[in-house]
Amino acid sequence: MTDADPEPEGSEWRRLDARMLLVHPVQEAVRFLPALLVVFVTGRSSDRSPWWDVAALAVIVGIGVSRWFTTRYRVGPGRIELRSGLLQRTELTTPADRVRTVDITATLLHRVLGLARVEVGTGSGGLTERLVLDALDAGAAQRLRDEVLRSAGRARAARADAEAQADVDAETVPAADTLAAAQVVPGPASDLPPAPERELLRFDPAWARYAPLTVSGLAGLAAIWGFAMQYLLPTVEDIETTGRWIEGLGLLAAGVGLLAGGVAIAAAAVAAYLIGNWQLRVTRHPAGTIEVTRGLFTRRATSIEEARLRGVELARPLPLRLAGAARLRAVTTGLNPLEQGSSQLCPPAPVAVVERLAADVVEDPTALTVPLRAHGAGARRRRFTRAVVPALVLVGLAAIAVARQWAPPVVLAVSVLPLLVAPWLARDRYAALGHLLTPRHLVAQAGSLLRRRDVVERAGTVSVLVRQSLMQRRVGVATTVLATGAGRWSYPVLDLPAAEADALAAELVPEARQFLVGA
Amino acid sequence: MWAAVGLIEVLVLLGAPQLFWARIHDWQHAWSLPMAIASGVVAAAYLVGMPAWRYRVHRWEATPTAVYTQSGWLSQERRIAPLSRIQTVDVRRGPVAQLFRLASVRVTTASAAGALEIHGLESADADRLAEQLTAAAAAERGDAT
Repeated sequence: MTDADPEPEGSEWRRLDARMLLVHPVQEAVRFLPALLVVFVTGRSSDRSPWWDVAALAVIVGIGVSRWFTTRYRVGPGRIELRSGLLQRTELTTPADRVRTVDITATLLHRVLGLARVEVGTGSGGLTERLVLDALDAGAAQRLRDEVLRSAGRARAARADAEAQADVDAETVPAADTLAAAQVVPGPASDLPPAPERELLRFDPAWARYAPLTVSGLAGLAAIWGFAMQYLLPTVEDIETTGRWIEGLGLLAAGVGLLAGGVAIAAAAVAAYLIGNWQLRVTRHPAGTIEVTRGLFTRRATSIEEARLRGVELARPLPLRLAGAARLRAVTTGLNPLEQGSSQLCPPAPVAVVERLAADVVEDPTALTVPLRAHGAGARRRRFTRAVVPALVLVGLAAIAVARQWAPPVVLAVSVLPLLVAPWLARDRYAALGHLLTPRHLVAQAGSLLRRRDVVERAGTVSVLVRQSLMQRRVGVATTVLATGAGRWSYPVLDLPAAEADALAAELVPEARQFLVGA
Repeated sequence: MWAAVGLIEVLVLLGAPQLFWARIHDWQHAWSLPMAIASGVVAAAYLVGMPAWRYRVHRWEATPTAVYTQSGWLSQERRIAPLSRIQTVDVRRGPVAQLFRLASVRVTTASAAGALEIHGLESADADRLAEQLTAAAAAERGDAT
């Protein structure tokens, strides 16, 4: 593919920005702070000459300078190269079509100096595979990113062309791949000045009100609660046993403390939200990427290539749902599902905003507006049995325990609580359950406490799987799972009537029709 | 479309581990006879029922366009992967499988959740199938990554 590349040969080797010399000593100094303190203190106490301090400083500056002298990079035809190291020289070459993300981050220090750090992700996971340039001029970083992404798109287009020609059977080329590649590089015309980017989302600080409702916020609250309970419970016992002198004051104080703790946690969550997401912008670039920029102190710009984008996940955990909020995550190939940090598109924000963003990102408005298809009576029955039966078992166990006097009667009362919630949970879970096939996407929704709507591109389907447990067979339902190379890797559609499950599988993978009786 | 190459010898393959189970239950005799009898009955039922059940459920098929597998007993699943999405084809032989001269063919795709495995093939059949699948997959393009 490299020979066919139209890019002019010989982008020359480039260096990092000289201003990095100001950044690195500070970073190194922070890292070596304990050591420096030791040097400083011992220097004072043993009356050694201050030259030690100077020497240490010189070493640190020397390391920085050597890095500037030895680190070079270039964007060549079809590949990106990085050379670094003084004693241990390393050369890193990444084929352009392996590039999946280009992140630009700038800490406060970087921003003061007008610098930025560029990280090229190839999706192969290992840290050594990462191509990091720290630091470039902010403008140069932007240009480099555009350059790398353009080069990546071109390399992929070239490969797609070659494959399309090599293929006798043209329809086996996944339509979306060629389509996306064509969007990325519409021929030589792509060297024209790029069209302006389109803004899909702009941050509103008011969204921070949802921050305490996220998992981390709630975990904080729960921690406070548990902590308080630990001190509160003995107090209650004291009231019962010794007297009631503590009653008024103790409970009041505990209550106030609890409240203060809760407020503090909530405030911390809000602050973290604002710091992390300040001036969040999601934009679509004409080069075929979606870019997410955010951060108050450290600015972070993540580019997700649309050719790698396979859909979105719209998550609405119960607390967020009650507050009318949701958050959005991208489903992309090549990212490790365990490190999903860079796939976040939108932190908790009002549902309407998030849904509009989701529709814009997947360019399929029907995927989020059209009501989903419900899964019928079998699915509903299963929701109820699955919610109520464990709750009943719990009550039964508690009853036995109380009858045998292994536990105080309170346990029985507490154990009834899940049973009271179960029907509501089951109804809510059933209400959420549904799916929809649009021309380009599979939309699947499920869950109550952790409700999620997955919008996954059908072109990304790698295989399908129809699963039936014993209980599912008795009710006559089945689960169809779409396996894809992106995001979570498997996206289930729960408890469809068996025939529909087969039909859906056949719809997702036309080749499946020959095997499935129901389709 | 070629016909299914051969049915699967799951019975033998899955029967072998059951011996191990039975031995564990024997060992419990000294502790409690009723427990041992109960678990013995369960084990026997399992021994007789499960492999037969599995044998009845398990099947597979490979056509010029796709691979299909069906497996499980209590919980059953059917997987279909188009040939164009196949990435690698491995032949695996576990110790028990080797004992009975069996092998399984594992077909991996671009999705970590999308792999298919055909258990308990005759060793030679497995090799032949793997070769055929590899050749067929190589003729196709695009793995949806």
